Amino acid sequence: MHPVDWTIIAIYLVWIVWDGIRLTKRSHELEGYFLGGRSLPWWAVGLSVMATQLSAITMIGTTGQGYYDGMRFLQFYYALPIAMIVLSVTLVPFFHNARVYTAYEYLETRFDAKTRAFTSFLFLMSRSMSLGVVISAPAVVLSVAMGVSVTTAVLMTAIPTAVYTMFGGVQAVAWTDVKQMVLIVGGLIAAVVVLIFQLPPDISLGSALHVAGSAGRLQTFDFTFDITNQYTFWSGTIAALFLFLSYFGTDQSQVQRYLTTPDVDQARSSLLMSAYWKIPLQALVLLVGVLMFLFYLYTPGPMLFDGRHDRELREGPRASEYLALEQRYAAAAEARRAAGVALAQAEDAGESARVASEGATFKAREAEVRVVRNQALAFVRSATGDTTYNDVNYVFPTFITTRMPVGLVGLLFAAIFAAAMSTIAGELSALSTSSVIDLYRRFIRPVATDRHFLMVSRVATAFWALVACVVAVQAANLGSLIEVVNRFGTYFYGSILGVFLLAIWFKRATANGAFVGLLAGMGSVAWLIAYTKIAYLWHNLIAAVVVIVVAMAVSAVDPFARKAE
Amino acid sequence: MSDMRRSYVSVVVIWVLVLAALYVFQQYFS
Repeated sequence: MHPVDWTIIAIYLVWIVWDGIRLTKRSHELEGYFLGGRSLPWWAVGLSVMATQLSAITMIGTTGQGYYDGMRFLQFYYALPIAMIVLSVTLVPFFHNARVYTAYEYLETRFDAKTRAFTSFLFLMSRSMSLGVVISAPAVVLSVAMGVSVTTAVLMTAIPTAVYTMFGGVQAVAWTDVKQMVLIVGGLIAAVVVLIFQLPPDISLGSALHVAGSAGRLQTFDFTFDITNQYTFWSGTIAALFLFLSYFGTDQSQVQRYLTTPDVDQARSSLLMSAYWKIPLQALVLLVGVLMFLFYLYTPGPMLFDGRHDRELREGPRASEYLALEQRYAAAAEARRAAGVALAQAEDAGESARVASEGATFKAREAEVRVVRNQALAFVRSATGDTTYNDVNYVFPTFITTRMPVGLVGLLFAAIFAAAMSTIAGELSALSTSSVIDLYRRFIRPVATDRHFLMVSRVATAFWALVACVVAVQAANLGSLIEVVNRFGTYFYGSILGVFLLAIWFKRATANGAFVGLLAGMGSVAWLIAYTKIAYLWHNLIAAVVVIVVAMAVSAVDPFARKAE
Repeated sequence: MSDMRRSYVSVVVIWVLVLAALYVFQQYFS
């Protein structure tokens, strides 16, 4: 990487830490540190919510998915606007009017301390695990770009974030998120512009998009009803609705953010910002992937974007097989390029019969490339013993380092850092808040000064940062990161949503009923994962229903509830 | 109609328009 790019990244890292701490006010009081004194404007909170959602995994994993799989992942977000409206009407006023620090605090008011403590514990476990995965994504990028170890890259990302989160609290998190969001969107738009200008001069953008469409990369709707498929219209609108209700409605990293607004309507407005912008933003991210597909279609790139095992394979006992695969890939990619040029020319000429025939040829060539690539992936896994090897997350970093102009490389890396840090900061702040409010202050030391609780909060932030770093080093070896993160949460999300639904709408639900229901919900997800092929998005809906049914059944025969009556 | 209710209606309207635009985009380029 050029020194100019290094300078841009260094300036960004120093500036964001300095700015995060500089903007902090009232962080010496508990409410100021955890909830920003309940005084942040809705637009800043709205951008902060979106920044926390848009992690480096989105920048790296989702662009990679766009490259290999097209835009069908977009369907995952179709229910998000509806979820935001439902939450604005239901859970947001409950939390805001209850004047709580955490979502789980409300459960003690409605049920009992053990339900609160257990849901908080589940949040701490699942969030710290997924935070590790979130940190490992930019670490993967850095290890590719700089030739450093994953551990070094993890520490470079996590330490600056932990510093401004520890000292600045939620205000530092929210205000840095606003600036990081601008940087992220700017970086994505810059990538789109560069990719469009790097298309061959004789191929128009319109005809190139037709070629991408022929390869199935622009499919944004799949109306097949298949509960084993993650990305269909029905999974995205029905099953994902429950994931979003649970994530935005019960996950402390999100709830804490909208508790920082002065009133309920501002909290609602902050959520509705995501309702308007999440789908277009996600489409922009996936479009970067589709445009990279077009770029590497007309300028054939490497067979595999993750070259970590390249040298070992070239010099190893199976080198001849690897080289033969590379030759087959080069031939298949060249045949696909020629077919892609012919199809684009037919599109430009507007000859429909020729478009149909060239389209069929192009699809056949594209299928051949896929076959060779899949064989190459299988070969690397078997020859190296790296059974999780996949190069999806390496496509965008490779493009940035090899094809972007000097200056923009630094900007794009800074944007990836920004995406990672905004998510990490929000999660660390939420982990610290829940640890201190739901566990330490509730069970260990109920009465102490704000100064004492702030000191414990800072220690908790450092502790969770350390845990996440350890998980990150392990998670760097996993496959497509975006799915991994979502799967971590799915074990618990639906069940926790079920408990909150019970708390608000089922007056007859008892504390014991809710607790047993919660365990049953989690058990049902474990069973679904072990014995069925039902796509993980549906697990949230099923778990929420199981929690409610079991809880109401237990509540009906709960001896303690009868005594209370 | 309250301001929040008006916001909810506009979210739904924009949501439908965005999905319709994406569908047209898919069909046009496929």
